[in-house]
Amino acid sequence: MSDSASLIVVEELHRHYVVGGEEVRALDGVSFTIDRGEFVAIVGQSGSGKSTLMNLLGCLDTPTRGTYRLNGSDVEHLTDDALADLRNREIGFVFQTFQLLPRATALANVELPLVYRGVSRRERRARAEAALEAVGLTHRLHHRPNELSGGQRQRVAIARALVGEPSILLADEPTGNLDSATGEEIVRLFEELNERGHTIILVTHEPHLAARCPRAIKLSDGRVVGDGAGSEVALVGARVVHA
Amino acid sequence: MRRFRRAVVRALSETAEGVRIAASNLVGARLRSFLTTLGIVIGVMTVIAIVAIIQGLNQSFEAQVATLGAHTVYVSKFAWIAGGPAEWWAMRNRKDIGRKELEAVRREALHATAIAPMAMARGTVTRAGLQVDNVQLIGTNAEYLATGSGSVLAGRFLAETDVELARNAAVLGADVVDRLFPGVEPDQVVGQRVTLNGRPYTVVGTIARRGQLLGINMDANAILPYTRFQRDFGGKRSLSIAVTAAPEDLTALEDELVGTLRRVRQVPPDKKDDFSLNRQEQFLRLYRQLTGALYGVAIGVGLITLVVGGIGIMNIMLVSVTERTREIGVRRALGARRRTILLQFLIESSIVAALGGAVGTALGLGIAQVIALVTPLAAAATPSAVLLGIGFSAGVGLLFGSWPAWRAARLDPVEALRYE
Repeated sequence: MSDSASLIVVEELHRHYVVGGEEVRALDGVSFTIDRGEFVAIVGQSGSGKSTLMNLLGCLDTPTRGTYRLNGSDVEHLTDDALADLRNREIGFVFQTFQLLPRATALANVELPLVYRGVSRRERRARAEAALEAVGLTHRLHHRPNELSGGQRQRVAIARALVGEPSILLADEPTGNLDSATGEEIVRLFEELNERGHTIILVTHEPHLAARCPRAIKLSDGRVVGDGAGSEVALVGARVVHA
Repeated sequence: MRRFRRAVVRALSETAEGVRIAASNLVGARLRSFLTTLGIVIGVMTVIAIVAIIQGLNQSFEAQVATLGAHTVYVSKFAWIAGGPAEWWAMRNRKDIGRKELEAVRREALHATAIAPMAMARGTVTRAGLQVDNVQLIGTNAEYLATGSGSVLAGRFLAETDVELARNAAVLGADVVDRLFPGVEPDQVVGQRVTLNGRPYTVVGTIARRGQLLGINMDANAILPYTRFQRDFGGKRSLSIAVTAAPEDLTALEDELVGTLRRVRQVPPDKKDDFSLNRQEQFLRLYRQLTGALYGVAIGVGLITLVVGGIGIMNIMLVSVTERTREIGVRRALGARRRTILLQFLIESSIVAALGGAVGTALGLGIAQVIALVTPLAAAATPSAVLLGIGFSAGVGLLFGSWPAWRAARLDPVEALRYE
């Protein structure tokens, strides 16, 4: 029963859309498990189904068929409210475009998940400050997103993802809108967080990024075409530039 | 218990968050917020101004009518409120009311606490070269004051003996005193000699200022014994008889009066009364009918403008939902439930509308005050009108904000996050 010990168990997951009267199988029978403390890249080209998978893993969407168990909950049977609560409790999202609320300060942005959990004001403040400290932003608490650099914005977003102590950090192309140096800093931050015990799922189309992860799941046309050490799976079939 | 506490804290913090978001959006888009609420502002302003003026009119009207005795029946040839010219002509042809009726009423009106005849004429009052024209001369008796609401300022009112002996005694109204005795102390007026239409009288007292009744000056009068009045200014004039009773006896009194007068005036059983019983209440009733209609119009106008204002709010809220689609997606991803988003937008629309209502109320009251200052109309601001103005507009915000809010709540988080 290794399944029950696993944080994420995905079995025969399908997600079909009807576009223009034609059925598109964005996910066509995907199965894998992810354990607590893993750092997994989900890699694939655009159209491979990785965004669909991320939406399902993030409980933003429900599968057409198949099962998804997250930390003991069968996600496919949950109501909309229960999904919202599950996202709040179990998932920390990090988006490519940061998705911070423009008119709120860094602190207020980070506090937001706790507002939806019913945490008292004082505790929210303390936990948000701690989360911002964990991503190295102690000195930017009262700045608004437009007063922050791209890297700082993504750090605020990561602090927001961390503040609720979720089971997984779900990052969707977190370096996609950053220059390579800043992107590198963010990847290091993820590695650090993983070392501290956080489970991280990183969705990316970049083989190089996936190659740095201990494990990568490669998708193509809605199916898993590779699952193993990042350095092996991610670079297969990709143009590899050797230094 | 813990779960319950969590839910309460959550509901409170979500509401607080909703208010915060609304405030930040209001401040962030001041011009738009202002334009959004303009409809509500104008609607509430109009209604509040009209209502304030009507209420002001009510108060001043009721104060005026109170100068007529509240519990007094005035027996007259004419009804105060006539249906039209035909009715007026019919009343004009009635027999005059005279001494005969007065004595019968005195004899038979058991419920009456005061009975005063009233004979009226216009006249001129003079004293030492000063002259006041167009004075209401009232011939009455000692009980006159008890049937109305006036009070003696200086000296005394008419006494029984003044009436019995038909003395040349006069009690003067405040305006007449002011113009005949400029700068003279009230007490010094008593005992002075004046002429009423050229006949000599002695001032025995003065009446405290009473104000106006329906545009009629109640202070330009001179009161004298009706016995003297009939000798000096003609005994053929029709009298009115003011009869006062305790409030609970008014109906019984009216019945008595009708019986007595019909018998004395020999009205056949199959004919209608050839006299009228008038009461202050009739004025109030007619007045309330008129202002009721005005209220109806004000409320109608207000409702229409509020609907227009509400549509304005709905329009802007729809735009706002579209603009903030991504934000809604983020909030949903972070754990906001549908009803959280619904609540957020409802709070926003009702705050916008309530602010509009508050501004409209303030402006409306201001306009009413200005009108009260520059015209003879009065204005009154009641707390209920203010509460109603703000509460009603918040309700409009809630009503017209509910569809946009529902649309926001129904957004699919995946689609919303991807929205460009």
